[in-house]
Amino acid sequence: MTLLAGFVARLRALFHPTATDDALNDEIRFHLELETEKNLRLGMSPADARRLAVAHFGGVQRVREEHRDVRRLQWIEDFAGDVRFALRTLRRTPALAAAAIVTLTLGIGANVAIFSAVNAVVLRPLPFPAQDRLMVVTEENPEKHWHLQTAAPANLLDWRAGVSDFEDVTGYVDGLGRSTLTGRGDPQILNASYVMGNFFSTLGARAALGRALTFDDTWRGGSHVVVLSDRGWREHFAADPSVVGKSATIDGATFEIVGVMPPSFAYPRDEVDCWQSIGWDKTKTGNVSFRRAHYMRAVARLKAGATQAHASAQLQAVVDRLKREYPETNKFMGAAMMPLHDYLIGDTRLPLLILLTSVGFLLLIACANVGNLLLVQAAGREREAALRLALGAGRARLIRQALTESLVLSIVGGACGLALGWAATRALVHLQPRDMLRVRDFGVDSSVLVYVVAITVLSAFIFGVAPALWTRHRNPSDSLKEGGRGAAHGRGVRRWGDILVVSEVALALLMTVGAGLLVRSFLQVRRVDAGFDPHGLLSASVELNARYDTSTKVTAFINSFEERVRAIPGVTAAALESNRPFNGTGYTSDFIAYGRPEGGYGTEIGNRSVTPSYFATMKVPVLRGRTFGPEDRAGSTPVLIINEALADSYFKGQDPIGQRIALDKVPTPKSTWYTIVGVVGSEHTDALDVAPRIEVFHAESQEPREFMVVLLRTNGDPAALTPALRGVLRDLDPTLALAEVAPVERLRDQSLARARFLTTLLFAFAVIGLLLAVVGVYGVLAHVSRNRTREMGIRIALGAQAAQVRWLVVQRGLRLTGLGLIVGGGVALFATRAMTKLLFNVAPNDPLTMVGVALLLAATSICAAWIPALKASRADPSVALRAD
Amino acid sequence: MGTDQSDVLRGTLDLLILKTLTLEPMHGWGISARMQQFSRGLLDVNQGSLYPALQRLEQRGWITSDWRTTENNRRAKYYALTTSGRRAVGAETANWRRYVEAVELILDIA
Repeated sequence: MTLLAGFVARLRALFHPTATDDALNDEIRFHLELETEKNLRLGMSPADARRLAVAHFGGVQRVREEHRDVRRLQWIEDFAGDVRFALRTLRRTPALAAAAIVTLTLGIGANVAIFSAVNAVVLRPLPFPAQDRLMVVTEENPEKHWHLQTAAPANLLDWRAGVSDFEDVTGYVDGLGRSTLTGRGDPQILNASYVMGNFFSTLGARAALGRALTFDDTWRGGSHVVVLSDRGWREHFAADPSVVGKSATIDGATFEIVGVMPPSFAYPRDEVDCWQSIGWDKTKTGNVSFRRAHYMRAVARLKAGATQAHASAQLQAVVDRLKREYPETNKFMGAAMMPLHDYLIGDTRLPLLILLTSVGFLLLIACANVGNLLLVQAAGREREAALRLALGAGRARLIRQALTESLVLSIVGGACGLALGWAATRALVHLQPRDMLRVRDFGVDSSVLVYVVAITVLSAFIFGVAPALWTRHRNPSDSLKEGGRGAAHGRGVRRWGDILVVSEVALALLMTVGAGLLVRSFLQVRRVDAGFDPHGLLSASVELNARYDTSTKVTAFINSFEERVRAIPGVTAAALESNRPFNGTGYTSDFIAYGRPEGGYGTEIGNRSVTPSYFATMKVPVLRGRTFGPEDRAGSTPVLIINEALADSYFKGQDPIGQRIALDKVPTPKSTWYTIVGVVGSEHTDALDVAPRIEVFHAESQEPREFMVVLLRTNGDPAALTPALRGVLRDLDPTLALAEVAPVERLRDQSLARARFLTTLLFAFAVIGLLLAVVGVYGVLAHVSRNRTREMGIRIALGAQAAQVRWLVVQRGLRLTGLGLIVGGGVALFATRAMTKLLFNVAPNDPLTMVGVALLLAATSICAAWIPALKASRADPSVALRAD
Repeated sequence: MGTDQSDVLRGTLDLLILKTLTLEPMHGWGISARMQQFSRGLLDVNQGSLYPALQRLEQRGWITSDWRTTENNRRAKYYALTTSGRRAVGAETANWRRYVEAVELILDIA
């Protein structure tokens, strides 16, 4: 209370210097009046009485200034003194200071790096005006297990018309398409985003040059227009300031460049080069496909003042109406909305939170270590503290001194940590798997600085409080009597040391278990057989342009392309297909086998077109029936090959060969019935940790596609085939560009990149945490056994065996470690459940990981205990007994 | 904080003020008058230095102050000991005694 009152007085003085000055003037005047009166009573003349009073007072102005100095400077001086003293102390023990600072630098640096990422991804608002009113509207279909699904255009337009709480609703295609820019040297690939015209106005973006698209641009019109991103403008148009109004040849068609967006607007992806209209045909909005194909990511802007709940209710009303009006497509089609920011953070939140927790633990372990160092030092300085107490330093002053020392250490550690963290964010930006964190800009901004200051002060407090309180508990006369050595034996130090060790071990266990689970999961994923052999495979994509306007032309191109590619020296097999490996599937549909009762349909079947050599090239086994052959041409019986996953689920217990299926939920007279001619092995088309989806394969000759992926197999290095492949395409058609050239093994690794990234980081943090904890265990035990040298000496003198003495020390280490393991293990059993979503084929309480990690920790702490134990057992009784 | 000469003097004045205030709450002039009276006029403290010292003690939380009306109906700032101030008197007195003892020991030897 008194400290508080003093603080309040100081604050008042700081903020109201004149008020305090006035008060002082009043006080001085009063004093002089009384003094003068006294002098008058002594019989002086009024003039003398007054003069003497002033003289006695001794310079009013000087007093005023001194008074002001005390008010303002005392605490600053005290603080400066404390800091000087702290620096002196630390200089006296450079090893300790260095150890503490390095430990803190690691702890704080890791926190800065991870917090910067969290800040950039989760905390920083999106760069759109009134971004909190932007909502993603998703389609939800329990029948097809759809969640957060992209919307069908017709549904999107109905929401736009029917929900009055929406200021506007726009849509874009989630990924980026590849457009080929020609007429400016070599064909170049533009990353194109396909958007509705009101995309820009809904998000609140304005063009830097020219204009953005408008809602009317949504529809296919007479002319094609394109808006460039700042990146596209600089990279492909040399930042030409007069580019607006010029035309560009994109995918063989002429586009007018109507605008350039500012660098701050690069959505939905940083790599976007241009935005093109989705170009819907206004006359075909009634077609069933307009409501059946779900490919638009819908974003709505709420009206100012509208609540999400109210808008949701309105949206549900529209959804219910659509269910009634369009049962064929919308019977089970629900919709939901969530803030755009939340949607974009999506599945990055959990990994980031886990990383943040991990570095939090790391910092706590670091604090425990530093706290222990300081505690040992404080105990060693017991005598000094006692002396200072005896000489009249206030206990509060001593506590403050101890805390200042911690703070100085912490600030140095914090500054180094900030530098380390800043460097680490640079590394993070480059090491992160593509798009994992969505942002490439991790600037250390004010939030990060506030965070650094907060954790720096907090750490100082955490590791400083034990030594500080230690000072408080001691009675100076006892310490002085004990000759300064007794304190080190004090139970207080030992108890604090024990608590620190137990918490360190518990935290290290938590960190290591988390990392261990991810490592196990990662190894499991790596063991998964992709269903095809990615080794020695090269893949590249080609998109045909407007010149290929009939299926005959497309098929002719495909045939000659495949033939020429196969002729490249070193190529042992080649094929074309409509999907990139490990990149999901193009589209999915419903399906039903001929003769099944109504409602006997299946959903979500993947759908690909492949050339006959696909299965041999990929080494996908043909399990039954045949692959495609020359007899499967345009016009012949439509055929399909299905994968094992489909055969095992939908055709369970039947022979699928010869059965016919339609890709409709309810077959109509117009439905095409495909005959199943073969069953092939299932492939992991999305990623290794995603189960193979059910799939059907069309013959490319029967279902030609304008986008295709060429696959080349070689015995050598697949990447070395790239120049030859480019040459083949250039010879065949110089207007086509080869994109996404990559060895398939690299694609596989990319599909694991996220898991690898997270695993690597957590693993690194866990290793650091573990090392720090081991050092902590060592430090405490070494200190304890050093102070028991005398006792050990006596024991040895009395005939104890070296092994027995060693056991005394090791036993203590084991007891503390065991306690830490029990505490940490108990927490881990529950805490790891939060990681379930990130684990593949590993339970969050995986006994192997738990026991393995516990054994590892136990083993390392035995090692940590062994060194002091060895020293203790070598205590020479004569020396030990004589000491001190 | 080192213990230079000014610190010793400052500490002395502080102790005297605290001791004086153990009697009752007083205003600045009252303290100076009382100190003079007790020391039988031997200790003639520079009255002006009283006020910075009072401020210092208040900041340490050893005394508090408030404006009150005197018997003669004038406004004056009264200072009173806090609980920790009361404790401090004991500790500071002991310190002072030790200090004097030490100084005397040295003076006797030298």
